Amino acid sequence: MKKMTRRNFIKTGASAAAATLAFPTILSRGWYSFAQAEGAGYFEREFGITDGLCRKILAEALARGGDLADLFFEHTISNYLILEDGKVNRAYCDVALGVGIRTVKGEQVGYGFTQELSEKTMRAAAATAATIAAGAVKNPAREFTRIRTADYYPLKTLFSAVPLETKLPLVQAVNDRRFALSPLVVKVNAQFHDQQKRILVVTSDGVKAEDLQPRSYLAAGVVAEKNGRRERAGWNFGGRRDFSYFASAIVDEIAKTAVSRALIQFDAVQPPAGEMPVVLGPGVTGVLLHEAIGHGMEADFNRKKISTFCTMIGEKVAEPFVTIVDDGTVPNLLGSINVDDEGTPGQKTVLVDKGILTSFIHDKISAKFYGVKPTGNGRRQSYQHYPIPRMRNTYMEAGPATSDEVIKAAGKGIYVEDVSNGQVKIGEGDFAFYVSQGRMIENGKLGAPIKDVNIMGNGPKMLANTTMVAGDFQFHQGGTGACGKDGQAAPCGFGQPTCLVRSMTVGGLKG
Amino acid sequence: MKQELYNLAESGIQMAKSAGAAACRIGIDTERTVEISYRERKPENIKEASTKALSLEIFVDGRYSSMNTSDLRKDALKDFIGRAVAQTKLLAEDPFRSLPDPKYYQGRQELDLGNVDPDYNTLSPDERHAFVKAIEEACLAKGGDKVISVTAGSNDGYGESVLMTSNGFDGYSEVTYFVGSAEMTGKDEGDRRPAEYGVAVVLQRKDLPKPEMIGIDAARRTLALFGAKKLKTETLPIIIENRVVARFGGGFLQAMFGRGIQQKQSFLADKKGQKVASDKLTLIDDPFIKGALGSRLFDNDGFAAKKRVMIDAGVLKEFYVDWYYSRKLGWEPTTGSPSTLIIPPGKRSVADIMKDLGRGILITGFIGGNSNSTTGDTSIGIVGQLFENGVPVQAVSEMNIADNHLNIWQRLAEAANDPYPYSQQRFPSLVFTDVVVSGI
Repeated sequence: MKKMTRRNFIKTGASAAAATLAFPTILSRGWYSFAQAEGAGYFEREFGITDGLCRKILAEALARGGDLADLFFEHTISNYLILEDGKVNRAYCDVALGVGIRTVKGEQVGYGFTQELSEKTMRAAAATAATIAAGAVKNPAREFTRIRTADYYPLKTLFSAVPLETKLPLVQAVNDRRFALSPLVVKVNAQFHDQQKRILVVTSDGVKAEDLQPRSYLAAGVVAEKNGRRERAGWNFGGRRDFSYFASAIVDEIAKTAVSRALIQFDAVQPPAGEMPVVLGPGVTGVLLHEAIGHGMEADFNRKKISTFCTMIGEKVAEPFVTIVDDGTVPNLLGSINVDDEGTPGQKTVLVDKGILTSFIHDKISAKFYGVKPTGNGRRQSYQHYPIPRMRNTYMEAGPATSDEVIKAAGKGIYVEDVSNGQVKIGEGDFAFYVSQGRMIENGKLGAPIKDVNIMGNGPKMLANTTMVAGDFQFHQGGTGACGKDGQAAPCGFGQPTCLVRSMTVGGLKG
Repeated sequence: MKQELYNLAESGIQMAKSAGAAACRIGIDTERTVEISYRERKPENIKEASTKALSLEIFVDGRYSSMNTSDLRKDALKDFIGRAVAQTKLLAEDPFRSLPDPKYYQGRQELDLGNVDPDYNTLSPDERHAFVKAIEEACLAKGGDKVISVTAGSNDGYGESVLMTSNGFDGYSEVTYFVGSAEMTGKDEGDRRPAEYGVAVVLQRKDLPKPEMIGIDAARRTLALFGAKKLKTETLPIIIENRVVARFGGGFLQAMFGRGIQQKQSFLADKKGQKVASDKLTLIDDPFIKGALGSRLFDNDGFAAKKRVMIDAGVLKEFYVDWYYSRKLGWEPTTGSPSTLIIPPGKRSVADIMKDLGRGILITGFIGGNSNSTTGDTSIGIVGQLFENGVPVQAVSEMNIADNHLNIWQRLAEAANDPYPYSQQRFPSLVFTDVVVSGI
């Protein structure tokens, strides 16, 4: 049964990478890299999906006068290897196959999907989608043009070509290294996930696009025990990467980080409750941007006038050293896409340019509404869902300060290192995120560790109160982050330099 | 369709056994669903689909794996199962993995749980549209000139499931459901645009409230958020409204599962038989309530469903322990997942309790936050109303509550008389004393 889903949560699992990456550049491998070459024609080869068949189905979807129709074919294979109690003794595999058929009439959407890729069932689903309109054919499908895209996640090897025997030692190694790091470790669990998502988008406005979207992560959690008290922490690395990424150094980093993060919690204190300066450390704290501004910039919320940002385009919302970007082109990052789920190529969209709110993020419906080009943000969880504007990798660019200067300027407050959950109320702009790890700031210096504290803020106020930004930008290099909206989960990435927010509400224990 | 599902299940078991599986458990699930939403008095989205999926757990040579697929082409399925069995043999042995002892399948009740509306198939497209239109109109009327946007919706469906094991269990279940909802966004001061929703979820159409009630509820809740402010940090009594108790209580519930206990990730692991909450908390898991969202005759292991008292007057009596973790823990299994959860309601209404308390916060929603199942620490943002002299006087925003579950549930002072009917957790509003509500 479908639940009444409240929008916008993020689960990031574990936290940011230590490495600082250069700013995004398009890879030089050019058109039709390995992944795309392998993927080209996949659905025709495997399932008999020809251009002629697509034309028939689109005709059915447009039979009652829809403005636009599209077909989204998906074949996704996901694998999980799970270690518990010292052994990799569980595997899980999920296969998703189907097609979603959408008819658009103005801002209205009709949608049907089927798991059986026969002409009969697809035409029936198309007929369902067509019912959003009530008239005669107005916009017949145009000839398709296969679009060329850059490749932001080139693969040396497909996961399907990596034998299970090769993957198993990787997961086992996390366990073995972690137990070796501290006698306080009492439990370790680890998981390796790989996914190959093949999509084919065919639209009545003449686009045909195929992609092979990989996703993978190595994640681990550890429970440590000291004087009868237990603490838990986790860490992961991943993204749109192939198996070669998970080298020994990655395993070491995961093991060391998870253990050190668990052990430091034995010294953690609860911060006081109330308003105080908050310093966001680099990397995964970009979740704050995702919540504070990102969701509010999704154009469906704005064309419906339910976002607090809907009237602010062109206005100054932050200091001139604040630039915020949503970017699908960052190599191998979790939210990167060669093409979105409507057939629009992946691209970079500046949301706040030197303090000025500049653009929403669009799907085709909102782009038409505003009279602008789609920004490549039309994304969906699967063929069972129609696309809506979704973030990709959202980050704040580096600023002029140093991290020491930022912490010193905070004086007394808290420093956020790792977050695990976030949510926003679009209309009010109020948001919250959960600090799983951080530190007190006393006299302008980092102090005692803190944990398990929720922080509340308001998006527009937070932007206006961002008074310092450092130059130590980092992308979060995790592979587990998923954003929820309207009952759909989508992988998203984050990035952030150290920055100071003058005042936010910290949900501590004592007033 | 029932026989078709059974045939597919039997076929899947046969394929797995032919491929070398020593034992297996298979589930086949189908669902037909229709969703409609309206905005600005016209359909915004219409979605209709049927799904069918197969899930299979494989036990071979003391090893275990599971799989799920919607690719049910016979050859593809046979190939997939064959590869899954072969790969399972490469995993490490797990001596605790097996199908349950069949004795736990015994004793299944023969009851009509009221999960299926016999008239589901007579529901027409016109009736669906009329229902949603009525929700939208009522919300627009109640919201008046404060309305920026109203989205009204309905979602209904019919699902069937078969669960079958190679050691003699089979079970069939079917369910219908009906959802009506509305979300209103209103124009408040400045750039604030508060939004709230009204919703009803039932298994029988006759149990739906009038559509107008759903729309009015969404508008009433949205208007109540107008003028919200952050107040100064203060220790106050709080009332958590019935429909959001499950979100807060989930932080406690997640520590009651066998996996968390066995993996040393539960703050309740050593608390069985101990007082973990005030006398006011009794938690009952009742799978046999007619028409309830969590009703069932068997669980995912195939265990015959039983009514259980999980917490009795604050004393922890049971955990959720499935077959696998029962073997790892060396405990007797109970069940791996909750059915319908009940906190017995009290005698007084929320309004009467507010009058009695005088001043406090009525929490109507949560935002962000989390709960650490290993330690019990929790911190979560709140949305609601400050009440004084028993009357709401100020909407609150950007505020937070934080505590440890082992402490705050000891300060549960009262349950109201309003169990929430539209959830698997039929919880009433709950009153807690001396909670730090942080703000300015």
